[in-house]
Amino acid sequence: MVSLEQLKEEVKKILSSGNIKYFIGYENFSSGWQVRPAFIRKPEDVDRLVWTPACFHNLVRFLHDEKRRRAREKNPDTRPVGLIVKGCDSRAINVLIQEKYIERKDVYLIGVSCELMGVIDELKLKRHLPGLKPRKILFSPKETIKVITDDDKEIEIEASEILADRCLECPANFPVVADIILGEKIKKKVTSPYQSISPYEKMSVEERWSFWQEQFSRCLRCYACRSVCPMCYCDECVADSIVYAVTADTTAEEKAQKIKWVERNPEPSENTFYHLVRAIHLAGRCVDCGECERVCPVEIPLRLLNKKLEKEARELFGYEVGFDASQPPLIACFRDNDPQDFIR
Amino acid sequence: MAEEFEPRIVAFLCKWCSSAGADLAGVSRMEYPPNIIPIQVMCSGSVSPLYIFSALSHGADGVLVSGCHPGDCHYIKGNYYARRRLALVKKLLEYIGLEPQRFQMSWVSATEGLKFTQIIKDLVRELQPLGPQNKLRRKF
Repeated sequence: MVSLEQLKEEVKKILSSGNIKYFIGYENFSSGWQVRPAFIRKPEDVDRLVWTPACFHNLVRFLHDEKRRRAREKNPDTRPVGLIVKGCDSRAINVLIQEKYIERKDVYLIGVSCELMGVIDELKLKRHLPGLKPRKILFSPKETIKVITDDDKEIEIEASEILADRCLECPANFPVVADIILGEKIKKKVTSPYQSISPYEKMSVEERWSFWQEQFSRCLRCYACRSVCPMCYCDECVADSIVYAVTADTTAEEKAQKIKWVERNPEPSENTFYHLVRAIHLAGRCVDCGECERVCPVEIPLRLLNKKLEKEARELFGYEVGFDASQPPLIACFRDNDPQDFIR
Repeated sequence: MAEEFEPRIVAFLCKWCSSAGADLAGVSRMEYPPNIIPIQVMCSGSVSPLYIFSALSHGADGVLVSGCHPGDCHYIKGNYYARRRLALVKKLLEYIGLEPQRFQMSWVSATEGLKFTQIIKDLVRELQPLGPQNKLRRKF
C-alpha cells in the first residue's frame, strides 16, 4: 500500500528544501469522491494531497504549460517541477525525454506504484452502483476497492470490475522512472494485453468501417482529446486551422497560404481524417494513459485506436513505448530487417 | 456494354528511382493504364501520412507510394523510415475499415520500367472491383 503520510512527508521535505518550484499532486474537491490536480507551492499545504483510486489524471500534461511559461519569461525559474507519477505517467515522462521536449533534470518525480490495482473508470463505477452516490473511494488492503456511499454504507468492489480498461491491460503497473518510488514494485500478470481490441480486429472490413463511422460521426471536434494528451505539445496543430502561430509579422498572404489539411466542420469525413491524424501522430508515442477516452464528452473509444498502433509497433518492430528514454523514438529509427511483405 | 470503372490512383514517386522508372516506361513505349496521377517527391521518406489521408479525402480511389529498393536510397536511409512509418499507416487504414488494396507501397528502381507498368496494371485490376472510394472522400 502506498502510504499517504509518507507521500506528504516526502513532498514536505523536498518543498522545504527549496529544490523544486512547485509540486503537482491530487486533492479532493467538492464533497464527492472526485479528485483534481493540486498545485502545492508551500510546505504547509501538503495536507491537501490525497491518493485514492480516483487519481486517474495524467499530470505530465502540465509540463507543457510549464515549458511555455519558461519560454515566455525573461528570467525563468529553472528549478525542477515535482509531480506524482503512476506507471503510465512515468512512461509519458520517458517519451518526452526521448523526444528532447524536457530533460530529466526538469522534473522531480515521486512515483507511486499501482500494486496490482490501478485507477477506476468513472463510467464503470456509475454502472456498478446504480442509484447510489459514492462519497469516498479508497484502496483497501485486500485487492478490492472500498466505496463509502452518501448514506454511509461501505461497499467492497472487486478491483477488476471497476478498474479502467487500461489498468487491466497495463504492461507495467509501477513507475519506470522516478526519484522516489512509494509502494512495492509488483508486476501484475497480464494474460491478454490486447484483449480490448481483439473483437474489432476479428471484424470484417465493412463491419469495422460502420463501427468506426458510428463513433466518429458523434465527434464534436471539441479537441479535448488533444488538449489533455501528454504527447500533444505542438504549438501549431496540423489538424486545427486556428492554432497557427501568427506573429505581428505574419502577412495576410502567409496566413492564406497555410495548408488546411482538415476542415474544422464536425462532418463524418473530416472527423475521420482528424482521428486518423491524431492516431498516427501518437503511433509509438502513446503511453496508454487513457486520458483522451476519459475526457471525451461523447465517449468515443479512442483508446482502441491508440492500442492498435501500440500493438503493431510491438509486433512489427519490437518497440515498447516509454521504457527506455535513451533509445530513439519509433519512427525516427529503423532496422534493416523491418517487415516489408506488404511492399511490392 | 457497361463501362468499366476507372480508378484514379495518386502515386507518390521518389524523384531518384520510381519517377525515373516511370519515365523509362514512357520513353520505352511500354503500355500501362492511364489511371495514375504521378506526384514527384524528393524521397519516399518525405511522404507524410497526411499526404495519404489528404489524397484519399480529395477522392483518390487508391494511393501508391513508390521508392527506391532498401539500400539504394539517394539519401541513404529515407526509404527505411518510409517503410516503418507507412506500415503503420497501412495498418491504421485497415483498422479504420478501408479496404487494404487502396493503399499500396512498392520499390521501383530507375531501371525497372517494366516492373512499374506491371504494378500499375495490378493496382488497377485490384481496384476496379472495389468501385469508387467514398469512405474517406470529403462529403460537403
